[in-house]
Amino acid sequence: MHSKQDNKPRLLWLQGVTCNGNTHSFLNLPYLPLLLDKFEVLYYPAMEALHSFEEISACKLSCDVLIFEGAYDPLMKRNGVFMKEMLAHYAATAKHIVAAGTCASFGGMFKEAASHRNSGILFNEEEMNGPLLKHKKRIINLSGCPIHPEWMGYTLSMIANDQTVITDELHRPVELYSNLAHHGCTRNEYFEWKVDTKGFGQKEGCLFYEQGCRAPMTHASCNKILWNEVSSKTRIGTPCFGCTEPDFPRTELFQTKTNMSIPEDVPLGVPKRSYLTMAGIAKTFHIKRLEGKLIDYKTTD
Amino acid sequence: MITRQLIEQIEGEASVYFDIKEKKVNFATVTFPHFRGMESILEGKNALDSLVISPRVCGICGHAHLMATVRALEDAYKNAGCEIILSEKAEKIREFTLIMEMIQNHFKWLYIVIIPELAKLTNSILEKKPLKGAYAASLAAKAIAIFGGQWPHSSYMIPGGVTCDPTQIDILQAQNHIDELISFFERESLGIALDKFLSFESCKDFNKEIQSDITLLEESLIVADMNHKGLAYDRFIVMGEHDFTHVAKLKQTRAFGVDSKYVSTVEAYSPQENTYAYNALYKDEYYETGPLARMMSISLPIIKNMHRRYKDSAYSRVMARVFEIGYMLNYAKELLQNIDILQESVVNVADIKKISASGLGIVEAPRGPLLHNIEIKQGIIQNYKIITPTQFNIGSSTIEKPTSVQIAMKGTTKEDALFIFRTFDVCSVCTTH
Repeated sequence: MHSKQDNKPRLLWLQGVTCNGNTHSFLNLPYLPLLLDKFEVLYYPAMEALHSFEEISACKLSCDVLIFEGAYDPLMKRNGVFMKEMLAHYAATAKHIVAAGTCASFGGMFKEAASHRNSGILFNEEEMNGPLLKHKKRIINLSGCPIHPEWMGYTLSMIANDQTVITDELHRPVELYSNLAHHGCTRNEYFEWKVDTKGFGQKEGCLFYEQGCRAPMTHASCNKILWNEVSSKTRIGTPCFGCTEPDFPRTELFQTKTNMSIPEDVPLGVPKRSYLTMAGIAKTFHIKRLEGKLIDYKTTD
Repeated sequence: MITRQLIEQIEGEASVYFDIKEKKVNFATVTFPHFRGMESILEGKNALDSLVISPRVCGICGHAHLMATVRALEDAYKNAGCEIILSEKAEKIREFTLIMEMIQNHFKWLYIVIIPELAKLTNSILEKKPLKGAYAASLAAKAIAIFGGQWPHSSYMIPGGVTCDPTQIDILQAQNHIDELISFFERESLGIALDKFLSFESCKDFNKEIQSDITLLEESLIVADMNHKGLAYDRFIVMGEHDFTHVAKLKQTRAFGVDSKYVSTVEAYSPQENTYAYNALYKDEYYETGPLARMMSISLPIIKNMHRRYKDSAYSRVMARVFEIGYMLNYAKELLQNIDILQESVVNVADIKKISASGLGIVEAPRGPLLHNIEIKQGIIQNYKIITPTQFNIGSSTIEKPTSVQIAMKGTTKEDALFIFRTFDVCSVCTTH
């Protein structure tokens, strides 16, 4: 991260109110060295780069790509300098501004630290009224708590290759956020036939009906581009908490909200009546294979 | 004259204010200026939501926070008369992922922090290779994700066990990641086989003929005289119950029992700048926590030898952490071999809404004991209190009663002090949470 060469985009990673989860998630990117080589890294919070934070916080430099991690708090200072000023200074000349994680995108977990004033850099939950509103055309939101390393890898690669990243109405890249977290879940067949998981710790069953799984309502490619290249929450029996959406974190995260046993939220874009009709029919069938154990470990003689 | 030094890349920042007399540190105070209020975010929520919220305390050791939370919840169940007995499988999987997080932490600390800082201090031939640390850490994270779904920020531990139900293929994949990581450690860090490294009984066993990252590190620590610098109180504390260490407080090498009721916190002393930190004490005394403490408590021959020669110097602190990587890799491998996939992943527990009780969860996080204290009323969190290892190590007190890090920096040059500060492996976000 130390080489300085001409013509490489200058990348700067700043932090608001954060846990550092995005910083560490990004370090898991399998092609990290190759990607970093395409940039001149001015500052990165977990690794030595070209400049010290003393130099960065003096606001005398400029960057081409500004990454912001964490919730925006107008009163927050780093090294005695208001982050508000630092963010405004670097955003003014950056060609691309990337919000890394749900806090920077919508406020997220650390909006709760001071909910009346903290927000994302462009959105406050779903409302587009953040501090960088005037730079909105240059802002890409990579929501997720934390960001998936490949999502940041994709975005920075596109920027380095001078390719346009198409985004949705919440400024998230369509290639990453058009899928639902549900797509590719290994429990899909149980969802189709409305077979609940019987509590946690099971390979079998769907987590949508009782365990609070938000995957059918959540824009994310977690089950398409696996986490750490190996798995995802739903694959290992943890419900999706909807961490890429503006309303994260919700409450009662391990429980599906229901009205008279009917899920309050149904899969995205599906009319509730259609869903209930389909679910009602599916439930009338008893598929023996789906009611038993997926794997029979009994040995055959 | 008091001078301020900004410390970066410690999971956030801190300021150290040095009082230098005759080119030596007479006294230093530490300020952690950032605060998020994790405890108040947790209060009023469904107690199970803490399994999602508390890992977000920290990006590098969130898994330890998850385990402290689940232990606190299970302790609350017990105190409410609903004791939970975990399956061995669930215990082992939890322990495994906790250890892997520790390993990812230590690799990052070694290659991203300690080697570059020591290279600066000694102008030695130590090479800065931070991406090696990131690569090794990512392998450890993969092994966690097989059971935890992802790293960072997994929430796969729940009261009663774990949400995953691994197959033998999953176990084999995790074993492959461990083997790859061991091979990386041998090839890129040690220069010798792990078994040989773990058989070391004396500091003299670091083979000077083989040049590797670890032999160069060891040599550079001696060159920098770190075997005689950075000494704290020679008092250690281990509080998390695990099979890889012993719960104990140690005064030099004498071990004593520990009771968590004697842990207390006081506001940190920071006259120059507003701090949000609290210092953690045991029976009103400051202790050192982390790998050196853990390795001392199990009386490993190499660590005992190190301690006999160099006490709780910066050398011992650094080398114990390096040794813990090898020790934990070996232990993680053993854990995986003994997971019986046919056992239950989760045992049934009562509805959290029926629980009104307090609970304490203690784990050994990468930097030492992490305590989560939860108070629940009908399933809702009334109070949540977190005490982190950095609060034990990096307290900031008055000159009359210095903390471990303050003692360790005293009497050294400012440059040495800044290195010594980092030998404790500081976590800013955890400290103030």
